[in-house]
Amino acid sequence: MGEGPDLLPINRGVPVGKFILKRLGQMILVLIAVSILIFAMVRITPSDPISSMTKGKTISPEARQELVEHYHLDKSNPEQYLIWITGALRGDLGESYQYKQGVTFLISQRIGTTLTLVILSGIIAMVIAIPVGILCAVKRNTWVDKLLSVITLIFVASPVFLTALVFMMLFAQRLHWFPAIYHGGMKDMILPSIALATSMIALTSRITRTSMIEQLTSDYIRTATAKGIPQRRVILTYALKNALIPVITVASIQVGSMLVGAVLVENVFAMGGLGALLINGITSADYPVVQGVTLLMVFVFLCINLVVDILYAVLDPRIRVK
Amino acid sequence: MIKIIFGNGPLYRSNRRQVGKLFTPSVTVAFLILVTILLACLLAPVLAPCNPDAVDLSNGLAKPSLKHLLGTDDTGRDIFSRILFGGRTALTSSLLVVLISMAIGIPLGLVSGYRGGMADTIIMRCCDILLSFPSLLLAFIFVAGLGRNTYNAVLALGIVYVPMLTRLTRSLTLVEKNKVYVSACVSLGYGESRIIYRHILPNCISTILVQITLDIGYAILDLASLSFLGLAVQPPKADWGAMLSEGRAFILDAPILFLTPGFVILLVVVSLNIFSDGLHQYLDQAQTHLPSFDQYERRMARRAAKGGAVDG
Repeated sequence: MGEGPDLLPINRGVPVGKFILKRLGQMILVLIAVSILIFAMVRITPSDPISSMTKGKTISPEARQELVEHYHLDKSNPEQYLIWITGALRGDLGESYQYKQGVTFLISQRIGTTLTLVILSGIIAMVIAIPVGILCAVKRNTWVDKLLSVITLIFVASPVFLTALVFMMLFAQRLHWFPAIYHGGMKDMILPSIALATSMIALTSRITRTSMIEQLTSDYIRTATAKGIPQRRVILTYALKNALIPVITVASIQVGSMLVGAVLVENVFAMGGLGALLINGITSADYPVVQGVTLLMVFVFLCINLVVDILYAVLDPRIRVK
Repeated sequence: MIKIIFGNGPLYRSNRRQVGKLFTPSVTVAFLILVTILLACLLAPVLAPCNPDAVDLSNGLAKPSLKHLLGTDDTGRDIFSRILFGGRTALTSSLLVVLISMAIGIPLGLVSGYRGGMADTIIMRCCDILLSFPSLLLAFIFVAGLGRNTYNAVLALGIVYVPMLTRLTRSLTLVEKNKVYVSACVSLGYGESRIIYRHILPNCISTILVQITLDIGYAILDLASLSFLGLAVQPPKADWGAMLSEGRAFILDAPILFLTPGFVILLVVVSLNIFSDGLHQYLDQAQTHLPSFDQYERRMARRAAKGGAVDG
């Protein structure tokens, strides 16, 4: 056998562990750059944080001096950044100018609402979008597919707060199926979650459709069909498994726009989650709050992308080859 | 069996479209809607029946009538006139957003793709960092830093849209720069900027154009979102997003206040999406199907209708 032609070495890519380490390192670098950018952007126009703390009232020079020292405002910007970022590593995001409470505490009070909203609508989106996408792919170019594609087109083009307002008007105020205002219960969460899910349903179902059609028209499916494997099994096990890869990529990117969409939906339903905290922070120049909430959102977004990347690398060795 | 799995349509035909035909029925309708709305907003001073900012407190929340086609808002301002004038704000600012992103993004992408090396690495890492923000979130902190008004929101969104455009231009440039005509330019001794702007850019511009028509739609949506949160256009200025935000207080009594601007935004964005899609298919000839196939299909369909299923 030794006389045979030399086999090309198979490129197996980097091992999984090394790949994860590399991606983690990249993510840390990006996070550092992001934190600097956030810190610098918030301060791009010089404003007086003391006036936002005192809400414009005049205070004695001693009290002013005390506030300046308490918030490290006498230090240079790089020093302030270092104080902020080392605190953030310990889980302390500084103290809010207007609430006089720790940003971490403020976030921990409100994050439950936002997370529940995003996770619930993510689940709703996937549960609806994937079957709809499969249906469109199987029945492509029929009236079912065309009707659903018109509906998707409208939901993609509708700003999420408009969808939320229309849902609120129809299902809460006209039909009384759901409460219009959020009181904290799970039932109050359903309508906002559906509203937030709509654009993700629209996009994900389109991707599922395209991806499914690609699989359904490929050779291995024809072989499977020719072998007499039941149609349901061909679609749901053979084609769907391969079709889901691009769907998950798009869905994980969508999480980012859902985090921002949650800000808008919370605003419509007066939900008082992270979104309200962020917008309130922006309008009242409460830098620590804006910095903290933004950094957290970017962190969550990056983590989800990292997890999806690693999952792929484990499942599909081709991705590790560069 | 096969027929059920593969659906009723032919396998390879996802969209029936002929080569060299931009104005298919749906694209025509979308284009006409866009032109109508654009003209109506341009001619707002002539067309508008009332002054969009004229307050008439005695005639608040009036029902639609001949004088006020869509009724009035809570302070008695004519909604129809405000939609026309609001369109001017919404459309010009979203156009500005796209122009800003083009002015920065296209040159960066061209240089990054053509030169490669250090410049490429730096530009691409900056794009990566900007793209690690969910897009509207980046606009939030820009507005937080710059101050809340229309100009800053436009500038912020313009910058937010840069990385995607840079990446697109770069990937197109990477394909173009290996073509023979570029080597010909180099051997003729043309300067770098001449090659980039007068030879490579015109070959990339059609794909960029498709992205830009899409981006205008996104800009309208994002600006409306920012105005809705009170971070961009401030009332009482007429703007679709701001009108939506003002109208939400009357969601029970006068839903027309938020439904009208919402509907117009939806109409414009859907039309832009359809138009952009049509443009994409028209310019990307590889995705279109030869007319002979279409004719062949129709012949087969006619035959099938006459003599039973072909593939059953």
